[in-house]
Amino acid sequence: MKFKLIYPRWEKLEGQTIFNLPPHGPVVMAAAIPHHVEIDFTDENVEELVIDESPDFVGISMMLTTQVKRGWEIADQYRKLGKKVIFGGISTMLHAEETMLHADSVFLGEVEGRLDLVFQDFHKNDLKKIYNFMSKPPDMGLIGPAKRDILKKDLYYHKGFRMVDLFHASRGCIYDCYPCAVRYLGGRNFRPRPIDRVVEELSQMDNNRLFIVDNSLALDTQWEKDLFKAMIPLKKKWVSHTIEDKDEVLDLAAQAGAWYVYQAVFDTSDYIKNRIKQYHEYGIAVEGTILLGLDNQTEDDIKRLVDFLLEIELDLAEFTVLAPFPHTKAYSDLLKQGRIFDTDWNHYNAGKVVYHPKHMSAERLSELYQYAWDTFYKDEPQTMKMFNLINKVVSREIADGTYTPRRRDIADLSFGKKVPKVA
Amino acid sequence: METNPEFDQYMDRYFNYLGQWESPSKCGLKVVNRKDGKTLAIATEIYRQNPGTPVTEWCAPLATNIMMELQCPHEQFIFIEHTPDLGSKLTFYDESFDLVNFEWNGESLIHPTWTRLTPEQVEKMMLD
Repeated sequence: MKFKLIYPRWEKLEGQTIFNLPPHGPVVMAAAIPHHVEIDFTDENVEELVIDESPDFVGISMMLTTQVKRGWEIADQYRKLGKKVIFGGISTMLHAEETMLHADSVFLGEVEGRLDLVFQDFHKNDLKKIYNFMSKPPDMGLIGPAKRDILKKDLYYHKGFRMVDLFHASRGCIYDCYPCAVRYLGGRNFRPRPIDRVVEELSQMDNNRLFIVDNSLALDTQWEKDLFKAMIPLKKKWVSHTIEDKDEVLDLAAQAGAWYVYQAVFDTSDYIKNRIKQYHEYGIAVEGTILLGLDNQTEDDIKRLVDFLLEIELDLAEFTVLAPFPHTKAYSDLLKQGRIFDTDWNHYNAGKVVYHPKHMSAERLSELYQYAWDTFYKDEPQTMKMFNLINKVVSREIADGTYTPRRRDIADLSFGKKVPKVA
Repeated sequence: METNPEFDQYMDRYFNYLGQWESPSKCGLKVVNRKDGKTLAIATEIYRQNPGTPVTEWCAPLATNIMMELQCPHEQFIFIEHTPDLGSKLTFYDESFDLVNFEWNGESLIHPTWTRLTPEQVEKMMLD
């Protein structure tokens, strides 16, 4: 039986790196699909999707809100051919009601231990309109190694350099941050994976560089320390979201291969300044994630924030404007106040302003967003800062014998496409 | 009766409800039987203590649910959403009150619209 699994394309944000990372949702889903099913995966961001009658069953995995309209379009075409289509993934959950209009079935929640039932129903021609596991998280021990062999690995190289692979060690979050939907998606409890299962998966991965995509590793100190201790012998180098600011935790993180972390910078306080300094003291670089357009920000606040970022010597910065994704407090608040003026989901890319900001016009916020990118990267462009960051990890890899040279055989390709030669 | 010292000014008890996708959920609830014969219900978002769907996201079904439990006719029912002050320096976690107006489809309250209220307005509405 052939299952066509598709990851729809989306338009990249202006200013973001051109990098395409191997997706995580589809490989986690694939690991839970019964073994007898042949999976044919297409990531539309790096290859063309050919829609034909060859698959028996079609799955569409969506992570971003900017993927949903394309996902629906693909489903509509397959359904015209008489193929059954099931949707899953983060943005399927965020946009479930609308997605149901384009689907034979939607899967809500986490897949481990649940897909045998779905495929049995498909075989019996009894696919349910909805598989609802939203409040029923699986046993974390059931989460096995993701099935990364569905990926066409050569497509995730840029000029011979391999992209990081995505990986997760926990789910859920105890916080309910204003722009975040994790409360809805993964629940309000922090659910770490058993460390032996994490190590099992990490040790099977042939990529030395990883992005640990957990919302935050800083939610259970003992687990975090145990995780880092267990990771030290693996010699991986990794990127993650926030790590706890305790010295013993940062020390273990550095030994375990912390390369750089994403740190939200929301004000110009000494707390943020010291946090960045502390990471740097442990040799961990920092990419600041800066959300613009919150109700407590005036124009002056945004300009001051950009000056502050240059002062604290962030290694990289990524600016976004608030996107009120469904099932966030941001969405509820702006909806209540009648401030959302654009409901085209393709515009919810965190680069376009889709609501009326409190202290300025939407146009002015767009200008300040551009100002932030331009000002931060004025003296040292983003590519140069990224190059410096890569040099740091290469030095560490050479020192511990894990360095893999760039692949010469695909050095003229970027994500599977020929790189035009510069004259 | 469970109480929450943080939020109890506008809350007499917890109200359990099935939220979106049948998620077990709960909010704070205060019910005031007004002199004019109307019933005022204040539903308080209790954030981390609510395991499921927030009040605003499930506003119309939740209000219908409370109204039915109170056996109150829809034309006599007033519904206010309350989000308590979480003590954050971020303004969107300040206390807020919204009067929610609905349409009635014969079975349920639908199509909520929100109007911001001051605490003084809420106090006055409780005394009416």
